[in-house]
Amino acid sequence: MDSITSESLLHPKWRKVAYGGMQPEFDDNHTDESFLEDMVMNANVVKRDILKVMQDSVSISQYLCIVTLVSLVWAHTLQSTLDENSLLLLDASLFGSGFLVLLLTKEMRSLNLLFHYILNISFFTTGLYMLAPIYHTLTRSISSDSIWAVTVSLVVLHLFLHDYSGSTIKAPVALKNPSLTSCVSLNASVVASVFIASRLPSRLHVFAIMLFSLQVFLFAPFVTYCIKKFSFHLHLLFSFGLMVVTLALVYTLHHLLFMLLFGFLLFITIICPYWLIRIQEYKFEINGPWDEAKLCFNVTD
Amino acid sequence: MADQKHRILMVSDFFFPNFGGVESHIYYLSQCLLKLGHKVVVMTHAYGNRSGVRYMTGGLKVYYVPWRPFLMQNTLPTVYGTLPIVRTILVREKISLVHGHQAFSTLCHEALMHARTMGYKVVFTDHSLYGFADIGSIHMNKVLQFTLADVSQAICVSHTSKENTVLRSGLPPEKVFMIPNAVDTAMFKPAPERLGNDEIIIVVISRLVYRKGADLLVEVIPEICRLYPNVRFIVGGDGPKQVRLEEMREKHSLQDRVEMLGSVPHAHVRSVLISGHIFLNSSLTEAFCIAILEAASCGLLTVSTRVGGVPEVLPEDMIVLAEPDPSDMVRATGKAISLLPNIDPQQMHNRMKKLYDWHDVAKRTEIVYDRALKCPDQNLLERLSRYLSCGSWAGKIFCFVMIIDFLLWRLLQLWQPTEEIEEVPEFTLPRHQDEEIISNFN
Repeated sequence: MDSITSESLLHPKWRKVAYGGMQPEFDDNHTDESFLEDMVMNANVVKRDILKVMQDSVSISQYLCIVTLVSLVWAHTLQSTLDENSLLLLDASLFGSGFLVLLLTKEMRSLNLLFHYILNISFFTTGLYMLAPIYHTLTRSISSDSIWAVTVSLVVLHLFLHDYSGSTIKAPVALKNPSLTSCVSLNASVVASVFIASRLPSRLHVFAIMLFSLQVFLFAPFVTYCIKKFSFHLHLLFSFGLMVVTLALVYTLHHLLFMLLFGFLLFITIICPYWLIRIQEYKFEINGPWDEAKLCFNVTD
Repeated sequence: MADQKHRILMVSDFFFPNFGGVESHIYYLSQCLLKLGHKVVVMTHAYGNRSGVRYMTGGLKVYYVPWRPFLMQNTLPTVYGTLPIVRTILVREKISLVHGHQAFSTLCHEALMHARTMGYKVVFTDHSLYGFADIGSIHMNKVLQFTLADVSQAICVSHTSKENTVLRSGLPPEKVFMIPNAVDTAMFKPAPERLGNDEIIIVVISRLVYRKGADLLVEVIPEICRLYPNVRFIVGGDGPKQVRLEEMREKHSLQDRVEMLGSVPHAHVRSVLISGHIFLNSSLTEAFCIAILEAASCGLLTVSTRVGGVPEVLPEDMIVLAEPDPSDMVRATGKAISLLPNIDPQQMHNRMKKLYDWHDVAKRTEIVYDRALKCPDQNLLERLSRYLSCGSWAGKIFCFVMIIDFLLWRLLQLWQPTEEIEEVPEFTLPRHQDEEIISNFN
């Protein structure tokens, strides 16, 4: 002990310790060379590849197209260019194709599960059919302009808060519960479809359009998620097909809207990824001993 | 310069009757500064019906400002609301220097801002660590940057805390001093008789919350109980994670080996500590950790997670460090159990007496005060330029806030001139009483 103290008195060396009072020959504001040596910068930063980011952004464009298609159907129904029979046909074909996709892409194919699904959907449809008269007269006292304005803002809200990374309907593989924002987004879309349905001339119309909107808003993210899981190439192909169809249909409706949508799609798939890569260089992340330690196991409350 | 006597105002939201690292730091520091002949006044917010002026041991005057806390013992941030009362206290008590404590005390930030506006020298002590990633820390760091932009000197409680503060606030490192906490070794004496070694008792005293690593305890305790049949646990403290610990106890049927005391008042901490051999600290983040000092002073061997400033707190032979992961903590506890026969609590206590002393802390803080008072006086324009460099948007907002504060101060001076504020008459404790208190304190 004594030899150590005499040695350290001869050659006082600064130590990174808090005990033992003020260190001889060093002020309390002494800044050693070792200052900040444990700091790590940008340890968790992932280097992003522009092609990968562009491919990932296709999911967003795809969902934008789906919502645009729904709005197109709404617009055509309101203009009476689509009658209730063709709407019901559309519903049925969507159900059919949706099931087909689920059956083809998911591993577990059992008759039991299919039966379970069909039972649930028949309950759902019956309920919707019985509620149709209520939806029909729900907003009679409100002017159409207000309904349009609210619907547009709700759809924008829906697009803004939508969870593009997965599906709101719980896929069997998803571990996490849906977040608050994705629930708000889903509800916004449902309210928007109720508002649109309430402007329609007959109860059958209301039923058909509600069924259609709910099918798309509830199950489309799930179906596209399954396709993406199954094969990424198929997902890309499907998305591009969807984009072309949507653009063509919008073109027949309105030229300015077409330009707008086209601009949006370009912005999402090309400009945004480029932008993201560009601003990566401003990323500045600091880690060090002062960070809260992360537990290496899952905490369940 | 050394015999110049200061008149210090300590400001923090955290003070007695609350107990914790910051509270005891302010209390002990004030007591020792009083003993060195300085005048110390504490300003905090009202606790329950404890409002107004109170006197504590040694003539320590405390202003419990009648502002109600609204969240986690913090007052509502009003930015300018506290200016009149801060000004009155500063003038009444003829304060020469303001010392704020703790980065998330709103009262401290506001008082330091007003004190700077009025041209006082200010010192700030940071007691906590903050990350840089989440929104809460980003906001807190900006507030800290604002306060520290114009602070005369800053103090941190450990070297890690100093690095953290320098990074968060952009202060030059030579303006930041490292002065640790200490422990009142007179209060934390080891048990008069050495405990037997047949049964080993591990003590945990902490709030049972996520940040204190309660989830680690849930993993570690059953494993240690399985490996060492002669180990018993005493867990003191309560909090949201208490239920998890109780669940763990039932799941592994450890009711007779894990004793849960619930909340332990600070006065009883020593009696709990001296009933054990090993102190277990599982914090996930810690700037200093006074609890470790208290345990070591009671002669307990400490096992702790290697986080924040903890590795600096004790010499290597008095603490066993582990990574914050259950298996490593079990390993460290095993090592501590094997070291136990060589540990003499009384010797440990005597070493702690040499390592930590509040009087030493007070003397070192005194040096910082002297330095702060030597800083040149600056006018508003010079100070504004410092705020402007805090960020492209934030800088302008900070300047705006300071200009408004300056105008309000001038307005207050017109409304209630300084000469009209009554100054507090000096009073000194009678000599014999003074000595008695000091001897009690020692």
